[in-house]
Amino acid sequence: MSALDRCFNIADLRAAAQRRLPRGVFEFVDRGTEDEMGLRNNRTAFERIKLMHRALVDVSDRSTATMLFGKPATLPMVIAPTGAAGLCWHEGELELAKAAAQAKIPLALSTASMTAMEKIVAAGGPAVGGRLWFQLYVWKQRELSHKLIERVKNNGFEALIVTVDSPVGPNREYNQRNGFGLPFSPTPRFAMDILRHPAWARSVLLKYFTSIGFPRHENYPPEYQKSILSGVGSRDALRADSLDWDDIARFRDMWPGILMLKGVNRADDATKAIQYGLDGLVVSNHGGRNMDSAPATIDLLPEVVEAVGDRATVILDSGVRRGSDIAKALALGAKAVLTGRATLYGTAVGGTAGALKAIGLIRNELDKTMAYTGCRTVDEISTDIFFGSRHTNRWREAAD
Amino acid sequence: MSKLDRCYNIADLRAAAQRRLPRGVFEFVDRGSEDEVALRNNRAAFERIKLKHRALVDVSGRSMATTLFGKPVSMPMAIAPTGAAGLCWHEGELELAKAAAQAKIPFTLATGAMTSMEKIAEQAGPAVGGRLWFQLYVWKQRELSYQLIERAKAAGFEALIVTTDTIVPPNREYNDRNGFLLPFYPTMRFTLDVMRHPTWVANVLLKYLTTIGMPRNENFPEPYRHRVTSNDPARAQVMRQDSLSWDDIRTFRKMWPGILMLKGVNRPDDAVKALDYGVDGLIVSNHGGRNMDSAVATIDALPDIAEAVNDRATVILDSGVRRGSDIAKALALGAKAVLTGRVTLFGTAVAGQAGAAKAISIIRNELDKTMAYTGCRAVDEITPDIFFGASEGNRLRDRVAMVA
Repeated sequence: MSALDRCFNIADLRAAAQRRLPRGVFEFVDRGTEDEMGLRNNRTAFERIKLMHRALVDVSDRSTATMLFGKPATLPMVIAPTGAAGLCWHEGELELAKAAAQAKIPLALSTASMTAMEKIVAAGGPAVGGRLWFQLYVWKQRELSHKLIERVKNNGFEALIVTVDSPVGPNREYNQRNGFGLPFSPTPRFAMDILRHPAWARSVLLKYFTSIGFPRHENYPPEYQKSILSGVGSRDALRADSLDWDDIARFRDMWPGILMLKGVNRADDATKAIQYGLDGLVVSNHGGRNMDSAPATIDLLPEVVEAVGDRATVILDSGVRRGSDIAKALALGAKAVLTGRATLYGTAVGGTAGALKAIGLIRNELDKTMAYTGCRTVDEISTDIFFGSRHTNRWREAAD
Repeated sequence: MSKLDRCYNIADLRAAAQRRLPRGVFEFVDRGSEDEVALRNNRAAFERIKLKHRALVDVSGRSMATTLFGKPVSMPMAIAPTGAAGLCWHEGELELAKAAAQAKIPFTLATGAMTSMEKIAEQAGPAVGGRLWFQLYVWKQRELSYQLIERAKAAGFEALIVTTDTIVPPNREYNDRNGFLLPFYPTMRFTLDVMRHPTWVANVLLKYLTTIGMPRNENFPEPYRHRVTSNDPARAQVMRQDSLSWDDIRTFRKMWPGILMLKGVNRPDDAVKALDYGVDGLIVSNHGGRNMDSAVATIDALPDIAEAVNDRATVILDSGVRRGSDIAKALALGAKAVLTGRVTLFGTAVAGQAGAAKAISIIRNELDKTMAYTGCRAVDEITPDIFFGASEGNRLRDRVAMVA
């Protein structure tokens, strides 16, 4: 029985990942920011929403399949962009991409990933049935970002996601404490941490050393790529706090494919995004990882959906750990969710197999939730499945 | 790597202060009163308020700088008056005042401080860019208080803050329990406590003993400037504060030409009355949850006060601030600044001036990030617009919206 076989939910995968990863890496993936109110709140907001059993609907031919931007996905779920997949597993992004392609759901590759986008396209792209999206952090030197967009376009990514909720780096005090940072400096504390995790050192770090050396941000402009050890001096060039709507207009001109913003949490911003020709909006608080006072995304979702109507595809990110969370998000108007940590835990435990396991767990949970609530297709998931007299029902009342 | 370098937030500074200070001193600084309902509620009320990310505002030129009473400050924060700074560090008030001057925020000296106001004015006053405020406890023998006011005026303090929420001493049961009292009495329990903290004895107590003897309330009138160990019942009688009334405020207004503030104004009717008496600033405060345990959280009391005052005076929020985001929430609800007491005391207890500076910079960094996330480039742009709608925190927003 492998470690993976003993994981029966995402919490189990998380615990297994915690055992395997150096503390610095695990906490980088797992934790939030400051007092972690945002992190906890993302979960409690989902948990507050109660669903009602629907009796006696023949759900024997139910399906979790859906369409996203006009193309099929087996599940209303997408792998979120994450920077540390390559530290969870050797070339973790590649493992994740293979799993996504196999599961027939899209994968979003992060600007900060440690595997080059070209390699991802080769192993997890349309040729093998994969759908690839690219997440963009915009740098102060805009021409660097523009070059990156061209590179993404040339590689045939179907969507570009511009992250708009991270103008400044967050206060991740635990990472300062455990000595792990990105770009990372080899603090004695983190070095000790690595020594205590020999399996990780061997299967992840050594594999990089024996091939490319220290893992690098393979999608950064060559002059800033170096290794994730560097970064001093590049910080200012990579500052993102000047990003504004003019940039979005520019990106819209440059990018003919699907264009999304990630971190749109206000109705007024959502309306503005529609005017700028955005195709998709991701309601996200970065997994509770940047502004600790941010509301839960499931609480924000209704007002964004209300503002957007059907003029763009709304996707929910942050806090998804169970299939039932997807049903709740869909009922409130999202077309899909992003999962970051859920599949990263899986990747950390078993590479592609682990990521597939995570996807399988959530798929199974959504399937059962649909059966209990009497939904045969994802389109049938509406606030009708919500228990009535709660404040979470706000959206339903508005619809009535 | 120093102790200070391992402190990444105020909670870390608090933990480091706890290790360093005798339990009696630490609890005096850290705790509330009775069941500590108010202490916890101050935090819970801030935490309930949720802020919305604002997308795509160019915040690269953002600034926390503002003006308070017409003069510039680097951020909307001032150091609150606290009586025990001098027990957190040798001449802790001086360390705090220097840190404030360096950070370009005002410092408030407490009546109960253990460093004289003249020394503070000399070393951390306008000459070195400092802005000094003086907090006043009013004694039964009014002429003693008047003398103190004249002394503060002569020393060049720019503002006088009259504390109005502490007319009777609170029930700080933990201090009765741990044997620490101010004025303090060398109980067996506290003596043992002190002996268990030799570093503190060496760095704080011994430095006093080898210079001035036992630390004293240096700003008390001469006949009562006893050592803090004294527990003279006559002094307690003279220093009773429960007869303070609006008539006193009228007198103070006549005596004090500078900025006059009341600390502990928590009702709109009191706020309106304060305006009639010509007060320049009002501090919404429940004394850090340290006196009336049933007091409302100040962030919950603030909107009513801000509404009643309506820019006719400067409203400042005190009590419970531990994160930069708390400042954003207070400003959104109408405060012009906040006071921080424990935050900077924890820092002072860990490393004197450097520790206080660290505490200030932690909060500053947190406020800066909160402004960036919510798309505010200047403190004037912080409004209830950044609040999330359907949460409980919105209760406040609805009220503000109704007023507007």
